[in-house]
Amino acid sequence: MEKKSLWSFGTREVVYAAIGAALYAVVSYLTNFLQIPSAGNVSFRPGVVIPIFFGVAFGPLVGFISGFLGNILGDLLSGYGFWFWWDLGNGLMGLIPGLIAGSLAGFRDGKSILSAEFFAILGIVLGMGLASLSEMWVSGADMATVIGANFIPAAVTNAVNALILLPILMVAYDAVVARSGR
Amino acid sequence: MLISWSYRPRQSLMERIDPRARWVFSFSYLFSITLFWDARFLAAFFLLGIVWYALGGVPWREARRAWMLVSFLLFTMILVNTLLTGGGAGGVVPAGGHRVWPEGISLPWGGVWNFGLTWERVWFALCQLLRISGISAVFIVIPFTMDPKLYGVTFRGLGLPDRFAYVVELAFRFVPTLARDFMITFDAQRARGYEIERAGRNPLRQIARIAPLLVPVTMNAILTGEDVANAMDLRAFGQRPRTWLYELRYRRGDYGLLVFSLLLLLISLFLRWRGYGQFWIPPWIG
Repeated sequence: MEKKSLWSFGTREVVYAAIGAALYAVVSYLTNFLQIPSAGNVSFRPGVVIPIFFGVAFGPLVGFISGFLGNILGDLLSGYGFWFWWDLGNGLMGLIPGLIAGSLAGFRDGKSILSAEFFAILGIVLGMGLASLSEMWVSGADMATVIGANFIPAAVTNAVNALILLPILMVAYDAVVARSGR
Repeated sequence: MLISWSYRPRQSLMERIDPRARWVFSFSYLFSITLFWDARFLAAFFLLGIVWYALGGVPWREARRAWMLVSFLLFTMILVNTLLTGGGAGGVVPAGGHRVWPEGISLPWGGVWNFGLTWERVWFALCQLLRISGISAVFIVIPFTMDPKLYGVTFRGLGLPDRFAYVVELAFRFVPTLARDFMITFDAQRARGYEIERAGRNPLRQIARIAPLLVPVTMNAILTGEDVANAMDLRAFGQRPRTWLYELRYRRGDYGLLVFSLLLLLISLFLRWRGYGQFWIPPWIG
């Protein structure tokens, strides 16, 4: 069977990107009220695992769109307005774990789960790093505030959520793949 | 709980404007306003944002929740980060300045609190308020005034490739369905004795307790997605340029708005290039 390119974007990817974005929006909407005290523009979001998982399962483009569009939709639903750089940061959080989508041995395999966790953390650090830095030119904050009030709260909570929930979703997806033969 | 989009037809002036022109204006406004920290420019942008918001005709009772969330965000950003700690202003406001309480604040139980708030930081907080409120006014109005069925064709019209524009279209359609699935799963799990509150105060356990909700909804959505993808493939999705159910046509006023948006951005870039628009402190503060 011909192996699909990591960056291909066929019908399945169109549908999964839309599902990932909608799911992320819904879960974000339900948890957006959980603002982290004294952290600017940051809420506690267990849903961050969704773009990360969709990236790992379906590739970087699906992961990116799930995070980018999902964050826009979640903010539109909640009424937060539009925060382009945070949307882009969320997109990166899905894109970077998606880079290992083609090289995973399986979704239950311990080594694959560890690789996915590693790339998830990398995506979170880069994605939230970019979004937090944007506060320097959007809100006029200095580097210390950006790190203390934006980056650390966002990156740490997202990393904890991803580290706990990503393996659970991967193992569950492995069962779905095995059962359906897809 | 039902999740649905906030749009309903209001016969407002904004709804007469082509959605593509509205997005172009919104992005032009966003990128232009973020070029300035001068309160005089920001006040003009703020007024423009308020006029734009008023064109939407969104009553307060509908937008109240959105403004409450923005207010909370502003509270954190301005009161905590700028006024109390000062870090939120450190990137723009020069060090030093004129203290609001030069002698400190006398505490009722004795002693003096040497609070370092300066008038420059207060002025910067006003600038932040104008900037973030202006951006919020322009973008909060979108979901209330834009028909969800037009997002796909709008972004196609703005140059997004067919497949990506269709992702936007599909995602908007999936939101209410997935929200319903989420609530059905929540009720079903509760009927089996699931209680999210039972995890206690341990945050790690609380996160893990979300899995019985998240996993079934996600896996069910993926299985549904497979069927949707097969159905789309059977209808030869993506084999030819896509036609859209709704067609958008620019009118004279839309062209006017596009030209205005372009000018707004170009003039803003020019002014910044000439050195205008940096953080400005009124002489009476000094």
